[in-house]
Amino acid sequence: MKVFFILNGLQTIIDVDPDRRVVDILREDLQLTGTKEGCGSGECGACSILVDGESRLSCLILAAQLEGRQVVTVEGLAAGGKMHPVQEAFVEHGAVQCGFCTPGMVMAVVDLLSRNAEPTRSEVREGISGNLCRCTGYQKIVDAVEAAAKAMKNEGLRVKNDGEG
Amino acid sequence: MHSEKRLVGKTVPRFDAVTKVTGREKYAADYYGDAFLWAGVKRAGVPHARLNGIDITAAKSIPGVVAVLTHKDVKGTNRYGIIRKDEPILAESIVHHCGDAVALVLAEDRAALRHAIESITFDYELLPGVFDPEEALKETAVKVHEDSPEGNIIRYVPVVTGTPESAFNECNTVVEAVFEVPRQEHAYLETEAGWAYFDKTGQLVIVVATQTPFRDRFEIAPALGLDMEKIRLIVPYLGGAFGGKDGITLQCLLGLAALHSGGRPVKMWWDREESFLASVKRLPARMHYRLGAKRDGILHALECRLYFDGGSYASLGGEVMTLAAEHAGSAYRIPHVSIKGWCVYTNNPVGGPFRGFGVPQVTAAMEQMVDMLSLKIRMDPLEIRRKNIVRQGDANCVGVALTQSTGAEECLRVLSEHPLWREKDTWKASAGPFKARGVGIACMAHAMGYPPVVPDVANAKIELTEEGKIRVYAGVVDMGQGNASTYLQMAGEILGQDITGMELVLPDTERTLPSGSSSASRTTYTYGNALIKAANTLKMRIFEKILPLVQGSDVSEFVLAPAMVIHVPTGKEVSLKEVSRFFSESERVCTDNFTMPVVKGMNDVIYMGPHLIYSYGTHLVYVEIDRLTGETEVKNYLAVTDAGRVINPQVFEQQIQGAIAQGLGYALYEDYRVAEGVHLTRDLATYIIPTSMDIPEMTSVPVETIEESGPFGMKGAGEIAMSGPLPAVANAIYDACGIRIPDPPFTAEKILMAMQDKDRGEISQ
Amino acid sequence: MREVFIPDHLDEIWDILEREPKALLYAGGTDLLVRLRASKTLEPLICLDGIHELKEIYQQGNLVFIGSCVSHTKLMENPLIQKYFPLLIQAVKVLGSPPVRNMGTIGGNICTASPAGDTLPPLYTLGAVVEIRSIESNRLMPLKGFIKSPGKTALQKSEIVYGVWISTDQDYNVCHYEKVGQRKALAIAIASFAALLKLSESGIIENARFAWGSMAPVIVTSQEAEGALIGRPLTEESLRAVVPLVEKAVSPIDDVRASAEYRRIVAGNLLFRLLKHRNHGNT
Repeated sequence: MKVFFILNGLQTIIDVDPDRRVVDILREDLQLTGTKEGCGSGECGACSILVDGESRLSCLILAAQLEGRQVVTVEGLAAGGKMHPVQEAFVEHGAVQCGFCTPGMVMAVVDLLSRNAEPTRSEVREGISGNLCRCTGYQKIVDAVEAAAKAMKNEGLRVKNDGEG
Repeated sequence: MHSEKRLVGKTVPRFDAVTKVTGREKYAADYYGDAFLWAGVKRAGVPHARLNGIDITAAKSIPGVVAVLTHKDVKGTNRYGIIRKDEPILAESIVHHCGDAVALVLAEDRAALRHAIESITFDYELLPGVFDPEEALKETAVKVHEDSPEGNIIRYVPVVTGTPESAFNECNTVVEAVFEVPRQEHAYLETEAGWAYFDKTGQLVIVVATQTPFRDRFEIAPALGLDMEKIRLIVPYLGGAFGGKDGITLQCLLGLAALHSGGRPVKMWWDREESFLASVKRLPARMHYRLGAKRDGILHALECRLYFDGGSYASLGGEVMTLAAEHAGSAYRIPHVSIKGWCVYTNNPVGGPFRGFGVPQVTAAMEQMVDMLSLKIRMDPLEIRRKNIVRQGDANCVGVALTQSTGAEECLRVLSEHPLWREKDTWKASAGPFKARGVGIACMAHAMGYPPVVPDVANAKIELTEEGKIRVYAGVVDMGQGNASTYLQMAGEILGQDITGMELVLPDTERTLPSGSSSASRTTYTYGNALIKAANTLKMRIFEKILPLVQGSDVSEFVLAPAMVIHVPTGKEVSLKEVSRFFSESERVCTDNFTMPVVKGMNDVIYMGPHLIYSYGTHLVYVEIDRLTGETEVKNYLAVTDAGRVINPQVFEQQIQGAIAQGLGYALYEDYRVAEGVHLTRDLATYIIPTSMDIPEMTSVPVETIEESGPFGMKGAGEIAMSGPLPAVANAIYDACGIRIPDPPFTAEKILMAMQDKDRGEISQ
Repeated sequence: MREVFIPDHLDEIWDILEREPKALLYAGGTDLLVRLRASKTLEPLICLDGIHELKEIYQQGNLVFIGSCVSHTKLMENPLIQKYFPLLIQAVKVLGSPPVRNMGTIGGNICTASPAGDTLPPLYTLGAVVEIRSIESNRLMPLKGFIKSPGKTALQKSEIVYGVWISTDQDYNVCHYEKVGQRKALAIAIASFAALLKLSESGIIENARFAWGSMAPVIVTSQEAEGALIGRPLTEESLRAVVPLVEKAVSPIDDVRASAEYRRIVAGNLLFRLLKHRNHGNT
């Protein structure tokens, strides 16, 4: 079946079996291997993407469900060659070790910050509780999210001030 | 003190972080291409059976299936194994554990692959199995391998120092206990994956997630009947490994698939359930301990019997048990020691390497014994450790003089002065309703590198490219610990470059040099030492090449800076690109090697000989137990670590924090359950690893001794913290509510039931 | 290959179910698609996520309607739910994980009918009523009778759960939900407890509703335990007297996560957590 959706800002049409998993479409059909698979059963979060702004598990979404949706993967976060503030904070604060959980983790964080711009550390832990990490012990990820939230707030103020200037 | 350096000792963000966080970094699982075939395996699913016939006819006729292979299609020995070649690529007449591979399928797509695997059947006769190591040692026990020379014994290791038998008579207090530790699953986020093809020269090329690319070839070649020289392994960053990818996982299967793919590349990627079934696990153990002390709390005698469940193949189980035996006395001076360790075959899942490699198991026992002893003699648990902890120059439990950096005592001192130790009683006293609070400590040691009979060698290779870039050819796989980035940091320090301007080649048997496994806490030390030599050679060569350009100059007048060389007296700058033009092809590359120093002349002390260099740690944990449900929350954690000089504080903390999290999983959540060889734990829904809401804020304090033999004074930091959480938590639980659970993980149910038993016992007195 | 239908309107469902009687329904897929991982058959699937009227939440007089395809996240964010049913929010907050809450729905939790379903104990205490629709009928049934056993509900052939109705006339001033799991997120409840209490100013229990999860094939309620507390003060002593009634009411099993004995003890013990609400109004 043909499925039309917006992927990382681009209008996309694919022709696939309706029950094909979105994680396979992304990785195999569209060569976007940034989205990973760690369990195939919704337990690890490595396959997280944004669908209409919300983080969802692409191993549990079927092709037919993509119709008309806005999908963002980790490849779509950097704009104009510049990394997203969350990505920058992850690099700066040592939140990346083996990196396999990282793309899914970053998508979960982007969703979290869109709902709660200044989360406490406890709220951050809750926000990433669907993303398993076996390397970091999570602490530096929480550090990075706190820093990203601050940076995004300052950027928002800067943009606001520039706009008013 | 050491001088302030430009990069070393500083937090430099990791070189690999950007490509990983943007999703651009390709892991072994990320290889796809045109016209490739999927390869997949039919697993036995039964723990011990005679195989009477495999029926692949239905599978072969499924559209999209290209080949279905059994052991008959293996031209080589069909056997691999690092120490003992007891593992078949594809099962022949006997199935030894549920994860044994029975048939290999190649198909055009995953649906056909899955369909084919499901349709393969085999005729089998269940055989009685043996599932406990002490049972397996009995004369009458079922033999896991008929042809094994010592029955079910994979390895037996005795160690004796002093005169332990009589020494116990000299003790005023003796405590005795039996401890069990569970099977633990690595649960790396990236499951086993690889990509293989035969190139135009007839060379087998395998892109695979492995910790041991050079050593793997020694196993793949004879097993498949191939020429070792014509096997190339390329290793991307691993998505975690922790010992579970140390050795052959799917490399032989990929090679076999590539031999039958009609020239097409093959891809294999185990899903989580298959990874659980087929991969090695941390060896569970039962440990019988007896510890005696003199009146003043001085440890005098230790006797232990260790039974390690090796599962159905030898893997590195014997070596895990051996390292455990070497560490059975933790970080203390004990003059009279008798350790007996057995690693035993059973029909359980295969036991293999897992961060800590036997040391977490014995540390769990010993650190609880020390607390139990301190209670019996009414001595503070910190005090008894202070009295007995090793200092430089002391002999350790296996009689080796600790001549290298030994920061154990300093770690304990730092902990004792930390606010978390000082404030513990105030914290405990303010527990809320139905909560019991406790605090526990543990000390630990971890030996670095291979034992003396296995030379721990690395070969570094560094190049000044035509573009004037410094390129490091990493010899040791980076499984997430950041050693590759640290190599750049070290080379950048010597050659005046920032790591962002440098280049890195990840391990590739064709391009990088043999440097040993990514394991044993040696992944920065050995290669780093070799790299420092090679980098210094390159530096000198650069200066010598530049001399003719600046008249009257001496090599001492130059410094390197990002992308250039500067003649300090005149300020003249020459770009590295320019300098590189003066290099011939062979001059661009500098290589050097390093062999880790070892204990000499004591190989009879323990199988393979004892280790020389140790890292140390002391941990403190705050726990809060809920009396209504038994749930235990870890509220705070302090780890004080001696791993020599800290090269990169951020990378150091990454290792300590990560190890603590895995250790807390081992203590409280992770129970890989097997019944009569059948895996009851199947996936990440039933194997509970900690989430972000289960791990507390952790404080890491380094004690920076200088390890003279180490690159910039460092020693291994990857495993040391793994051994602290289980005993520290056990001791804290005892402190909170007076119970000791002999069989972790310390689940809510075990704690609640034990508290109830204790209350009932107290009431009835 | 499975066929997957994504209808836009409710009417389309009846047609599809007529043609494909074996079709399986799902909304978020967090239960069904995981179960199907091990499946060897290829039944068609109907995803209800595209039907707007199943995602509505609105108030009608003294009733609030929650469409069956309202996600757990949307439930948590909704002002009506926050105002009238904070107990439900407390439970949903500890369900699964953020992406699972974004995808999973209240209807899915009900139809999966697991005694460990986190929305169920609160919905039982709130007296939720299920609206069931088919092509030709529309009926209501209390949730309590709707769920029959693990995985089994009173849904007949060609019926769907349309939504849930809950009355806003809930005369309680204390609400409490606790879940015991193997970890603090991504955990199936080993034991769960929902409670609504009406406390007088002097701390006397005037009304009580309890429900326990993971204690039997279906959610457990106990009018005996509730009744025994009416007129008693909220004290440790009062609760202790009721524990034997609770232990009698539950019939837990041993499973891979916990033993029956442990569950039985915890079912009674969780009552004592109510003591933190002694100064009522503390929800």
